[in-house]
Amino acid sequence: MTQFILRRLVYSIATLFILSGTIFLVVRLTGDPVALLAEASARPEDLERVRHLWGLDRSWPAQYVTFMQNALRGELGKSFNYRMPVSELYFQRLPNSLTLGLAATLISLLIGIPAGIISAVKVNSAWDNVAKGVALLGLSIPGFWLGLVLILVFSVWLRWLPTSGAGGWRHIVMPALALGWYFAASMLRLTRSSMLEVLGSEYIKLARLKGLPDFVVIAMHAFKNALIPVFTLAGVNMVVMVNAAVIIEVIFAWPGIGRLLFEGIFQRDFPLVQGVVIMAGFMIVGINLVVDILYAFIDPRIRLTR
Amino acid sequence: MIRPRFEAHNLYPVLAIAAFLLMIAAAVASFSLPAGASARGKLVLAWHAGFASRWLDPQEHDGTATPDNFFTAIHDALIKNQGTELYNHLALAEHFQVANDAKSATFTLRKGLKFHNGDPVTPQDVKFSYENYRGAKADVFKKKTERIEIVDDRTVRFVFKEPFLDFAILFGTANVAGPGWVVPEKYYKQVGADAFKQKPIGAGPYKVVRHEPGVQLEMEAFDGYYRPVNVKQLVMVAVPEAATRVAMAERGEADIVYNIPGELINKVGKLPGITIAPVLSATFFIEFPGFQDAKNPFRDKRVREAVSLAVDRRAMNQAETAGMGKTSGNWINNDVLYAIEVPEYPRNVEKAKQLLREAGYPNGFDVDWITPLPTFYSRGERLIAQLREVGIRGRLQTMERGIFLQRLQGGLKEFPGTQMILHGARIGGSWSFWYEAHFRCGGSLSRDRICVKDLDGRFDQYERSINQTERKKIAEEIQRAILDNYYLVPVFRHAFVNSIGPRMVLSKWQDVFPTITTGYAYPWEDLKVKD
Repeated sequence: MTQFILRRLVYSIATLFILSGTIFLVVRLTGDPVALLAEASARPEDLERVRHLWGLDRSWPAQYVTFMQNALRGELGKSFNYRMPVSELYFQRLPNSLTLGLAATLISLLIGIPAGIISAVKVNSAWDNVAKGVALLGLSIPGFWLGLVLILVFSVWLRWLPTSGAGGWRHIVMPALALGWYFAASMLRLTRSSMLEVLGSEYIKLARLKGLPDFVVIAMHAFKNALIPVFTLAGVNMVVMVNAAVIIEVIFAWPGIGRLLFEGIFQRDFPLVQGVVIMAGFMIVGINLVVDILYAFIDPRIRLTR
Repeated sequence: MIRPRFEAHNLYPVLAIAAFLLMIAAAVASFSLPAGASARGKLVLAWHAGFASRWLDPQEHDGTATPDNFFTAIHDALIKNQGTELYNHLALAEHFQVANDAKSATFTLRKGLKFHNGDPVTPQDVKFSYENYRGAKADVFKKKTERIEIVDDRTVRFVFKEPFLDFAILFGTANVAGPGWVVPEKYYKQVGADAFKQKPIGAGPYKVVRHEPGVQLEMEAFDGYYRPVNVKQLVMVAVPEAATRVAMAERGEADIVYNIPGELINKVGKLPGITIAPVLSATFFIEFPGFQDAKNPFRDKRVREAVSLAVDRRAMNQAETAGMGKTSGNWINNDVLYAIEVPEYPRNVEKAKQLLREAGYPNGFDVDWITPLPTFYSRGERLIAQLREVGIRGRLQTMERGIFLQRLQGGLKEFPGTQMILHGARIGGSWSFWYEAHFRCGGSLSRDRICVKDLDGRFDQYERSINQTERKKIAEEIQRAILDNYYLVPVFRHAFVNSIGPRMVLSKWQDVFPTITTGYAYPWEDLKVKD
């Protein structure tokens, strides 16, 4: 087991290392940030001054070494635009993203699981078709479109909810719905297939033969076992929602990490983009590491085969 | 024993009731809470991008038009552009005088000026702000300034090494440079440049109450300002998505909404109580990179003129800004020193074809790439369609803004073959800043793409001259030569379209956007909201 954990740890560190190199390179390939930091009509002297100020006149390897040295000390650099440490900016926005991610996860669970169960229990019925339709729509409707429709309906026409920003529970309803909708659809599909698999298993047939009521069979026997992959997906989904809700956060002017990343990309704020991506990678790699280790504990075959 | 069977549909009435109760709760809550709607004495502005903290510090002015929006709220300058005054509106200065030989400029501060922290605004703060300034064109000021004298407790004099004719216009135009914007020396040194940007203190009409970097800036009227400030709270909220900003205007969540895109202008214009403010902004014009090359079809003046004749400026203006832009004019904005007014260029497809035939292109020719200024790609598409009518066939090249600027700075090698660029720019201050950036050989954006030596020679004469009459004459001559030779072809002047909500006090939109040198709503202290 120790060897398994160590191996996974090495993989995780290597993943983060590759990620840091990739993001470092990619942001630089997209152009020179100095062109955006100075005025459009800036003279070469102005551009040089800005370039030197931010250490962008040094070679890429030199910049990368500095970046990694700082990252290992927990410093992600200073944002070009905000003139603040990236880590400070990140942790300022993190609570908002966590709140949104949590609310969207709840919505996805509240929609996806019951609908998935009904769909599986009433397989090939009208209910199942409706649920499959909902899943199809959820997976195919773009988040930005859904977000704008929600604003139009609930803010402009009905005047129930504020259009954008953060502040109270009313601000979170629409962004959470727009974000959770897609994940609800994937949750619904997974719950349905997982339930169908479990419902077809021998021990469920036995339970039915014993005369147990449907409710007990579904809730106590089938659902419990079908839930494991669903909650695994929910955990991963939440990490994605926290770190990559770029479009939804921009549409609803939600002050989270996704919007911070958008602003960083838009302004070619290298340290900001690098920092946010590294933190997201750290979170995703960390969650996967924990899940891998937990699975290995639960199922010894995993640690033996990998 | 009869066991109850689970039936999913049994749950639906319960779910329906729960949903109904939720809707009732939401409706009740909507009556009891204002849902972010603006309160009395408060002005909410929906800003069209993120806020960069560097825009709150005039000491690091990046020379773009964006920071003046914030400077004019939090800080103040000795002189500035305001209303119809291009650069010489008296702000912190009670009066100022540039010496006849342009070798010094003397400013006298108003009495009793204070910063937001209660410290007085002194000539020493003015001196510090000038000497410590490290933003756009800082080296021009440093190179030309010999010393700064504090004459008395209200008077400061800038002494130059040589005649500095553009001093006042550079010093006083908020969207060009920032050494005239006064920061409190003591506080600036105490907290440092980075912390200053998070919690700036200035001498402007509004003091910062809360600053969420990139998200929101809450300000409150400063009682110690030398002019009356009408609105108690000024809140600037960053809302990047245009449709969301429009929804905010529709709901009354924002009193001023910046940058309504073309496709939404008609919708917003029909909203009850909303006033559209189409502020004339950047000029769009066509450049022919490397037109001096013998193989380049644009070397022939007739071909360049044919391009001008093929452009349907009115259609472009109608489609892109709902007709709110301006089709006549120079490639240089008319709100800068020595810019000349030019009537609308005609559209004449037949004449354009004839000119192309005369130039040896009876069947037209192919243009490798037509590159519009990001993100105005649809303008590039329209231009391509219009040019096709006369036989000039081009392909659209889109690129991201940073890449575009980088390639412009890279010069002609970045635009090989036959190419056209649809530029857009707004530069404040003087016509000469436009020439230097976009036309001069070696200019920051023109580099080696244009290079008309005789005009550059005339421009050098302009730079050397200290005679205002002579300068004006040369400036006008050069501009005429550029236009008459179609070195650059003006297309239209873009309208930066904003909306004004029903709570604002106004008789016409210019009451809220009175400053002709900017697309923004300052001076903020003059704005009023209804009780």
